[in-house]
Amino acid sequence: MAKGRIANQIRTLRFLAGEMTQADLGEAIGVTRQTVAAIEQGKYSPTLESAFRIARVFGKPLEEVFQWEET
Amino acid sequence: MAYREKLAAVHFAAMALPYAVYFTLVATRPPEPRLIDMLWLFGAAAIVHALLAGFGSLAIRIQAGTEGRAPADERDRAIARRGRSIAYIVLLVGMMLAGVAMPFTEPPAKIVNTALLAIVVAELVNGGVVLFSYRRGWHG
Repeated sequence: MAKGRIANQIRTLRFLAGEMTQADLGEAIGVTRQTVAAIEQGKYSPTLESAFRIARVFGKPLEEVFQWEET
Repeated sequence: MAYREKLAAVHFAAMALPYAVYFTLVATRPPEPRLIDMLWLFGAAAIVHALLAGFGSLAIRIQAGTEGRAPADERDRAIARRGRSIAYIVLLVGMMLAGVAMPFTEPPAKIVNTALLAIVVAELVNGGVVLFSYRRGWHG
């Protein structure tokens, strides 16, 4: 099985969305600010449902928000 | 430290402190303590545990404000599941030891305390896994 990690562009997308706060994003997708911070730092992989919600908030396809990186 | 992480730390400490004293006293007393002595000691440990956990949780909840009233989200639930599933194995092994193996060789007081120790250790493992998962991350 190929080893890897899920990278994401959430920090950049929040910046481009007018410095949207982690709390605002968390509220939009139904998680806490701490969970958004953990996702951004790669400490937690969100459920597929939350990943789609995040992508929808930014109006981007899923693969522009999350990427699989081989390690 | 986030609200639920603090809560997990308080519950861990509230469990560890009184029962560390309890098991130290039980281990250093004569080999066959009377049931009534054990009950008093256990009662005291349980009350201290309840008070520490109750007041600690209340203090953190007040300090956290609106964050403390927010329901657990998917990450909180995933971390809690991980803690419980690992703690279950610890509890299972402890109970098999206390309920299946020890009745043939050990006195009742030792069996009771081994069962209690299994519960306490399982709960500490649960709390430890939860704390570790919040701190270091968990991809459940």
